Amino acid sequence: MNIKVKLILLILAYNVDGWVWQCEQNNNCVRTEKSPNYTYPSINTCRLACGSFRSLWPQPTGKVALSQELELIDIRDLQIVINAQGDAVQYLDKVSDYFKELLNMEKTNCDIEAKKLKIVLISTSSDVNLLWKTDESYSLKIETDNEIKATITGPTVFGVRHGLETLSQLVTKYKISEQKSCLVTLKNGKINDTPAYAHRGLLIDTARNYQSLSTIKRHIDGMASSKMNVLHWHITDSQSFPLVSTRIPNMSNYGAYSEKQTYSPEDVKDLMDYALIRGVRVILELDAPAHVGSGWEWGPEAGLGNLGVCIHQQPWRSYCIQPPCGQLNPMNPNVYKVLELLYQDFVDLNPNADMFHMGGDEVFIPCWNSTNEITDSLKDRSEKAFLDLWASFQQKALDKYDKVRNNHKTNLILWTSHLTNPAYIESYLPKDRYIIQTWVPQEDELPKELLKLGYKLIISTKNKWYLDHGFWGTTPYYNWRAVYNNIILRGEGVLGGEVCMWGELVDNQNVLQRTWPRAAAAAERLWSDPSTTSEQAENRFFTHRDRLLFRGINAEAVVPKWCSQNEGKCNSYLP
Amino acid sequence: MRGHFCPWKRRERMKQGELRRALLVATLLCVFLFVYLYWQQTADETPHLLYTYKHLYVPFRSAPAEQAPQWTWQCINQRCERQRIKSDVGDVASLATCSMLCGSTQLWPQPTGPVTLGSKAVTFNHRLLDFYSKTTGPANELLLAAFSIVNDSISGLVQNSDYIHQKTDITKFKIIVSILDATTVKLKLNTDESYTITLKPHGTELVGNITAKTFFGARHGLETLSQLIWWDEYHEGGTLKILKGATVQDNPMFAYRGLMVDTARNFMSMESLKRTIVGMASVKLNVFHWHVSDSQSFPLVLPNLPQLAKHGAYAPDLVYKPEEVKEMVEFAKVRGVRVIIEVDTPAHAGNGWTFGQDEGLGELAVCVNERPWSLYCGEPPCGQLNPDNPNVYDVLEKLYKDLISLTDENEIFHMGGDEVNLECWAQHLQKNSNYYNYTDLHDLWGDFTLKALNRLTAANGGKKVPHVIVWSSNLSKRPYITKYLDKENVVVQSWGASQWPDTPDLVSDGYKIIVSHVDAWYLDCGFGRWRETGDAACDPYRPWQTVYNHRPWQQLHLNKKQVMGGEVCLWSEQLEEGSLDPRLWPRAAAFAERVWTDPQLDMSTYTILEDVYTRLNTQRDRLVSKGIAAEALWPGWCKQNPGMCL
Repeated sequence: MNIKVKLILLILAYNVDGWVWQCEQNNNCVRTEKSPNYTYPSINTCRLACGSFRSLWPQPTGKVALSQELELIDIRDLQIVINAQGDAVQYLDKVSDYFKELLNMEKTNCDIEAKKLKIVLISTSSDVNLLWKTDESYSLKIETDNEIKATITGPTVFGVRHGLETLSQLVTKYKISEQKSCLVTLKNGKINDTPAYAHRGLLIDTARNYQSLSTIKRHIDGMASSKMNVLHWHITDSQSFPLVSTRIPNMSNYGAYSEKQTYSPEDVKDLMDYALIRGVRVILELDAPAHVGSGWEWGPEAGLGNLGVCIHQQPWRSYCIQPPCGQLNPMNPNVYKVLELLYQDFVDLNPNADMFHMGGDEVFIPCWNSTNEITDSLKDRSEKAFLDLWASFQQKALDKYDKVRNNHKTNLILWTSHLTNPAYIESYLPKDRYIIQTWVPQEDELPKELLKLGYKLIISTKNKWYLDHGFWGTTPYYNWRAVYNNIILRGEGVLGGEVCMWGELVDNQNVLQRTWPRAAAAAERLWSDPSTTSEQAENRFFTHRDRLLFRGINAEAVVPKWCSQNEGKCNSYLP
Repeated sequence: MRGHFCPWKRRERMKQGELRRALLVATLLCVFLFVYLYWQQTADETPHLLYTYKHLYVPFRSAPAEQAPQWTWQCINQRCERQRIKSDVGDVASLATCSMLCGSTQLWPQPTGPVTLGSKAVTFNHRLLDFYSKTTGPANELLLAAFSIVNDSISGLVQNSDYIHQKTDITKFKIIVSILDATTVKLKLNTDESYTITLKPHGTELVGNITAKTFFGARHGLETLSQLIWWDEYHEGGTLKILKGATVQDNPMFAYRGLMVDTARNFMSMESLKRTIVGMASVKLNVFHWHVSDSQSFPLVLPNLPQLAKHGAYAPDLVYKPEEVKEMVEFAKVRGVRVIIEVDTPAHAGNGWTFGQDEGLGELAVCVNERPWSLYCGEPPCGQLNPDNPNVYDVLEKLYKDLISLTDENEIFHMGGDEVNLECWAQHLQKNSNYYNYTDLHDLWGDFTLKALNRLTAANGGKKVPHVIVWSSNLSKRPYITKYLDKENVVVQSWGASQWPDTPDLVSDGYKIIVSHVDAWYLDCGFGRWRETGDAACDPYRPWQTVYNHRPWQQLHLNKKQVMGGEVCLWSEQLEEGSLDPRLWPRAAAFAERVWTDPQLDMSTYTILEDVYTRLNTQRDRLVSKGIAAEALWPGWCKQNPGMCL
């Protein structure tokens, strides 16, 4: 124990009004009336020194050795050295600014003797594209002599960024007295860390209800804080088309809720930049051929015929599963021309994307089946005939996309549907092109069967990771424990998973609360895939929820504050 | 206009001379009447000007960027249909304007008396508002505050400050309020909250007359009047609009229309609680039941018992100071809401009550933070007052005195009385001879309650508080209830599920009740279990339709005379202030219409009319415009296409 710090902790902490905390034998931080034992002035400081993973979220997967001793930091003397090449330098420079911002959020006014913090960032690769196969591992080493030196090494800038995120979680405010506070970190430490799954995603839906750019940024902040790396943006649906298409302005002219509730290409690009600095890539989804409608009405007026059918048709229950109805018209060749232009717009937004989401969700056969324009040229009205029609639509759409990307062979994601039935998926969807996003319940065998067939998968367990459930129909709510304890399929073809925040009942007013901190529970499942359960994660999770809130993400409370101030004491058994 | 008072019709039966005399008399009478009425009318037109726009702070908002609107709405068959604007020519109507003039009243809660609304709208700006009072007396001061509030809420609709330079349809908008009983300045259970509104143009002026028996009715009238006003974003860069005419008569169906917030499981800032009161005022709820403390924490700083917060608050800054509470009580009062603070006893009390031993008062509470908690309480941490320690009752009297003085409320008082765990007492009291006096510990609980009630009377200057509320519990069941709870004095807040026998039993035993059925009006339910073990206490979530369609007096055939009203409850184990608004709203608004209007319920289908969806959606937007983060009812498309998602 460093004598000086110990003295500060023992003497100065006593001047602080209120509670003090103790790290108990079982690694719980517990609030106490001032006792003569070794105590901490806040739960965050206690958490920093208590337990093998301290307050880290998600917990690292590699070797972790952290000292008990703390060191006060003189934040006025922060030095960040970047050791990298090319674009990586600028990227890490921006990440450093992000890190400094995080530290500055803790308003401190330290003027007592404290140590300089020097951070060295080392990236092997100069690549600044975040792709599915990007190596996100890192190692972090903290050593203290005259100064505190933190060295973060990674094969890519994204690993280094995660390392800096980890470091930020090992720094907290240390209250010395009612007026005075400093930052504090560990004296020594070593962490090796690498994610269990490559794809750690959050789906947001801005078509059912619009979300402002600042709300989306808060989602990205939450993801960065939890080392999630994919924002799956379900940007359009039958309700609205808020994306401004450069090539076809009619899409949002007809499809946006209002001229203000839109995303311009610049908005999207800004968000993508904002996300990248936070280790997050944005995958856009243009759902088709179902879940379209608003925005596709202008065909007849433009002399292009019906681009969509059943659009906003009533009574809706006959033509779709949720109002308003609408599906693309696979018989109209102009549909593919429009798709090609739209794909060009999407590619312009992110020319280096290695993935694109083509939707393919929930085609409602009765819609097509009630449209003469479609049935007239079908040989029969069997289910197979409609599936063939759908598959041929998908093939034509794929051809257009490939044309736009000069046969780059981008990975394309599709939701599970009738088309992905293991019995005939192989005849419809080539496995070297399609990644299947499964949204069946946990007990369903489908992901296993698709994996066996050789498809790559993204898992969105409907009865654990659909964050919109619990507020409509008979769906139950999945609290953070259920989200955390959802062990997903393991295997080489499993890229990872996504929690899905569908937007029917959320908008700017409540979407952050509904998403967070539950998405962070999935984040640890996807990064660490621990063999332990939510019960062992409680202390860190409660701290992480407070961290999210502190960082401006309106994360909901999950327990009475008494339980987070008295770790382990709300469990029903005795320690 | 006034000529019909002249008695022309008697002429035929009179002779010439008589006729001349009669004509003279009649003419004189007419002149007199005319003068009298004119004088009266002048008196009408010059009541006491209480408030004008000059006092207002109007936040500056710049004109939104010039973007052509995409949609227009047309009222077809009482429904606003969204249509694309095809060219720059022709009339376009915003959704707000179409909705206000299309079939539905857009009022929330729907008034209980007759409502007639004009079919035309006029433009005005907030500077044209003048508020007049035809009242003198103590209520005038409250009215002044209410004017300022309604004025702020009207100017709060303004999205483009430049609009004041536009020409408006009217030159003045006068709001004239008459309060018949100007001495009532405290809301009581028998306070008349009714009001009438007459809104009509006088030449180029628009005059809104509100008449009410009391201030509290008058402020409801102002609230309703403000709901006839909206911002039309399409009209030349935006303008305020109001219906050109309206008459409303309104009177609530229930006297007690409550909303409970728990600030003990997680702390909520004063600001967030005030925001809740703003929401309540907007939907005419009138009791803010503040469950301020529980076994987890005691955030209320009591002037004569500051030790409770000192030992019980989560942090020194997570407290409510006495002056803040008093200010909040005033804040609520001018919004027609009374505040009652509940310090739950004898159970749900632990942290905070630990100061006794330090001060030589002995153990005030037992089982505090005891584990395993499942043996001694329903949720961690445990804690219950110690009924054996006489000092407890002295402390309670002090506490009651402080609560009465902080809230300035001694007509109703909430004693708590929720979920006593007899095992906690049994374990503790075994050490103590007193335990053996009780073969049934319910009697110990009963005796505690009687002693506490006596202390409450003492704290109230020796006068019984007329209505003491307790939560329903084993003590409010037979046989204990008749032994310990006096039906002339005690009101039971019945929180059990509606199919439990509690509520009908209480009513048939002659007790007055407040309904808070867990299966309809507990707004915290639906978020799973928050501790590792135990049940998911009250899943699932209650959507607003469930809240709205709960009509226990009909469903359980209760005698309405014994139902004082209802209350929605928001316990805070799984939320903090960041989720307070969306968890409460718009569901508490749905509840408000149940207890204000009490609309018919078709128990064979439980159908909710399209009009309810449309009006509630408007109310949701109104709440958002007041800075309350009310939840969305559905996708934006459904809002823009009324009736199309049902």
